[in-house]
Amino acid sequence: MATLPQGTLDLLVLQTLSKGPRHGYGIARWIEQTTDDVLGVEEGALYPALYRLQQRGWIRAEWARSELNKDIKVYELTTDGRAELRKRTADWTAMTSAMTKVFKAR
Amino acid sequence: MSPRTKRSGLINGIDTELEFHIEMLVRRLIDEGVPPAEARAQAEARLGTTERVRRECTAIATDMETTPMTPSHSLSTIIQDSRYALRVLWRTKVFTATSLVTLALGIGATTAIFSVVNAVLLRPLPYPAADRTALIFDGYQKQTGVEENPLSTPEFADLLARTRVFDAMAGLRPQDSALTNDCGNAACEPIKVKAYVVSPNLFDLLGVAPARGRGFTTEDGVAGNVGGDRVVMLSDALWRTRYGADPSVIGRTISLGNTARTVVGVMPPGVRFPDDPVSYMKDPADLWIPMAWDQRNDERGNQYLTVLGRMRDNATHTQVAAELSTISDGFRAAFPDRYTPASRWALAYKPLREEMVGNVKTALTVLFGAVGCVLLIACANVANLLLARGATRRRELAVRAALGADRRRLIQQLLVETLMLTGIGAALGIGVAFSALKVLIAINPGGIPRIATASIDLGVLSFAFGLALLSGLVVGVLPALREAKADPQAALGDGARGTDVSAPRRRLRGALVVGEVAVAAVVLVGALLLIRSFIAMSRVPTGVSLDDVAIAQVTIPRATYNTPDKVTAFHRALTERLRTLPGVTRAAAVYPLPLSNEGWSGSLSIMGIPEGPGLPVPHAEFGVATPGYFTTAGIPLIEGRDFADTDTLATDRVVIVDEEFARKYFPGESAVGKRVATSGDLVAGPIQTIVGVVGHVRNKGARGDSEGQLYMAALQKTEVSLFYLTRTSGSARTLLTGMRSELKSLDASLPITLLTTGRDLVHAFTAADRFNVLLFSVFGMVALALAAIGLYGVLAFLVTQRRREIGIRMALGGGSSSIVRSVITEGLALTIAGLTIGLGAAFLLASTMKSLLFSIEPTDGATYLLVVAVMIAVAVLAALAPARRATKVDPVEVLRG
Repeated sequence: MATLPQGTLDLLVLQTLSKGPRHGYGIARWIEQTTDDVLGVEEGALYPALYRLQQRGWIRAEWARSELNKDIKVYELTTDGRAELRKRTADWTAMTSAMTKVFKAR
Repeated sequence: MSPRTKRSGLINGIDTELEFHIEMLVRRLIDEGVPPAEARAQAEARLGTTERVRRECTAIATDMETTPMTPSHSLSTIIQDSRYALRVLWRTKVFTATSLVTLALGIGATTAIFSVVNAVLLRPLPYPAADRTALIFDGYQKQTGVEENPLSTPEFADLLARTRVFDAMAGLRPQDSALTNDCGNAACEPIKVKAYVVSPNLFDLLGVAPARGRGFTTEDGVAGNVGGDRVVMLSDALWRTRYGADPSVIGRTISLGNTARTVVGVMPPGVRFPDDPVSYMKDPADLWIPMAWDQRNDERGNQYLTVLGRMRDNATHTQVAAELSTISDGFRAAFPDRYTPASRWALAYKPLREEMVGNVKTALTVLFGAVGCVLLIACANVANLLLARGATRRRELAVRAALGADRRRLIQQLLVETLMLTGIGAALGIGVAFSALKVLIAINPGGIPRIATASIDLGVLSFAFGLALLSGLVVGVLPALREAKADPQAALGDGARGTDVSAPRRRLRGALVVGEVAVAAVVLVGALLLIRSFIAMSRVPTGVSLDDVAIAQVTIPRATYNTPDKVTAFHRALTERLRTLPGVTRAAAVYPLPLSNEGWSGSLSIMGIPEGPGLPVPHAEFGVATPGYFTTAGIPLIEGRDFADTDTLATDRVVIVDEEFARKYFPGESAVGKRVATSGDLVAGPIQTIVGVVGHVRNKGARGDSEGQLYMAALQKTEVSLFYLTRTSGSARTLLTGMRSELKSLDASLPITLLTTGRDLVHAFTAADRFNVLLFSVFGMVALALAAIGLYGVLAFLVTQRRREIGIRMALGGGSSSIVRSVITEGLALTIAGLTIGLGAAFLLASTMKSLLFSIEPTDGATYLLVVAVMIAVAVLAALAPARRATKVDPVEVLRG
């Protein structure tokens, strides 16, 4: 598993939630699956991240019942969160394409 | 929903959430083939400690309640960090308490001393023109430096006529007087006041105006001589204490030294020029008398006038020095006999501030340096504590780093935490400073000008908080950088086992301890040098023994005691009365008081010693004494006889000299029977005959070089101000009331200006030195203790870290003595490294305190050796406890664990 560059956990969480509401465990699994297990989430770090994103008003949480009849907390993106994600995605794309250019430069 | 239930609801939510997460992980792991028994443990390990995650989330959740939806800008993150810091500090109470006590003491002591430095050295003098004002004096170049003498009035008049660089000049001299019958009722006790006779323009020169009434005019000066109204100006202090701040005192006539004077003005509070010692004037003024101008016709050698000059706005110090040199040349040309090349005389000057605070500057600077060193050690100790705690906090920080908190943010958080720590430390420190300052002022030995005005003002407060900020950065930056640099993966991996043994961290802590030992060594060297000086000083024989002596100063006014017979009768009567007091074995009088560094000296003619241009003029300290003084003060009579009651104005003038005088001017022969003239000359007289030789008295204390002494017979000189000494077989203190009542019954109008025991007097003379020694010893002990604590901390930490290694060594048969030895060796290595640096620094720094030392060199080898011995002994003591703990390590337990 590759390590996460600092600060990218927030971006990954926001991007994951843009595909629809999920609970914490679901977010961790979705990231692993879509990246073919390349990006591992330090699971102990995930929940503080979720609380922080909530605090900044980018995501909100709601209690629900799972299929297994358990209390689960489901997170979804807010309008602010969507705007933040757009901004960060743009920054990220700009940066990665710049990096790619550097690596491809002859 | 109340905030309280909302918060606990959120925490419950976290538990539910985490429990769900773990359950899901367990299911998946079992699906992947992990045995159910192990699955739960693995799942929990992946999440880290649930307790830690919960704490993190709670921290964030609590902030969420109080600062909902805050945009992420730096102020809010700082507030957030501060809250977090407070929680962390609260959680680690022992660490916090230790650090706070250390910081509070360090910052408190530094602030208290700074407030004194501020009041004495930094705060401007209360006179607008003070920084352009200089003291002008007759300078005599001696081997030890320039001896400063006041000017004579003719010198002052000539100087005033010739100067161009000074736009104003004023002279002043002290005149002790008694205030009598001035408060308008019969119960009015006469008091002694400090009066100064001043040029009428003195306060114009200094730039202060009276608060009430008017200042002096030139006419006031001459008025007394032409039969006009004699006037006086009061200080605010005297106006309040003596006249109850009564505004109608202006215009009232008071009796000062039995001369009627009209009060014309009251100066503003705080003005008591000379507030601090200037030239030979040591006491602040109670009132001022205008100087009459005809005094300029005095004898040119009669040097008693302290002269101030105010430099023109654009005048430079080079110009002042050049002008004084030119005027000096003029004086030498006009009066070649008085200003001989041999006397190495020249007019010289000194800025007023330097004159007022110059002699305490070194002491205060050195003291401030010492206390700064103690603060440095305190900071190093706190930094060490932070580093030690950092080891246990690495995982928490690593988690935050992994979470996406960037490095800057982590450093910010750690800095906020240490700044918060030092900030609280500073607040406590200011409390410490308040009480320390009170103690300092209370035990002020005298001689530190304006110490009473020292206070914790805005400047001092900013200093304290500046200090806190600085120490916060010093103690915070190193650990912060170190922790933030830590690799999260490594920390999360091995840090969990709590076996952090990073080599750089150990080196850093070692370096801090080496620094502490070095700084402590510097303070100790300073303290020991002062203590040894003090001991050497107390061993210097003073030449008198005043232990069982009570002393009273009496000054009789010449206006009532206006004939020599009246004066003589008074002295005789008082001495007789004192001798009848119970327990009194002897009574006599003298001026000046031994050891007091007061009195006067002058040149004289000695029969048989040639005089002339280029030849040294005999010179001696003068005194006057009544019969029986020498036995009363315990001064041995070496040869000849004491003064007798039969030495009167009707008989030949007699004097007694001391052994120094006899040795210097009559080497190899007896001084008794030789003839001298202390005033006039050997032809015109009066000629005085030496009748006795007595032991030498160190009138200037142990530090001052006293020259030969010559006593005149008080009864032949009609001296009006004398110190009466009574020697008792009982307690000198109980004698004081008796002395007072005898004096009152003889003449109730006389004020008693000094009434004390010889023991208290001697104590007071050494007070300033004892004060320095006391403060330095305290700082030395604190520095030593803090360094020892630092060393102990590092060694204890080391032993904990090496438990495994120690266990293996013991299992392999290593004896416990070899382990004790290795821990102590480690401690000694750090101590010796610190000592090497510290003694080197002390060697370089100690020369700054040379003027505070007595009969000991700043580079005194024995002192340095003693510091080495003390510090090594303390280091071994500090290492013993950790070493003993190391031997208690159970190899089996360590190896299994």
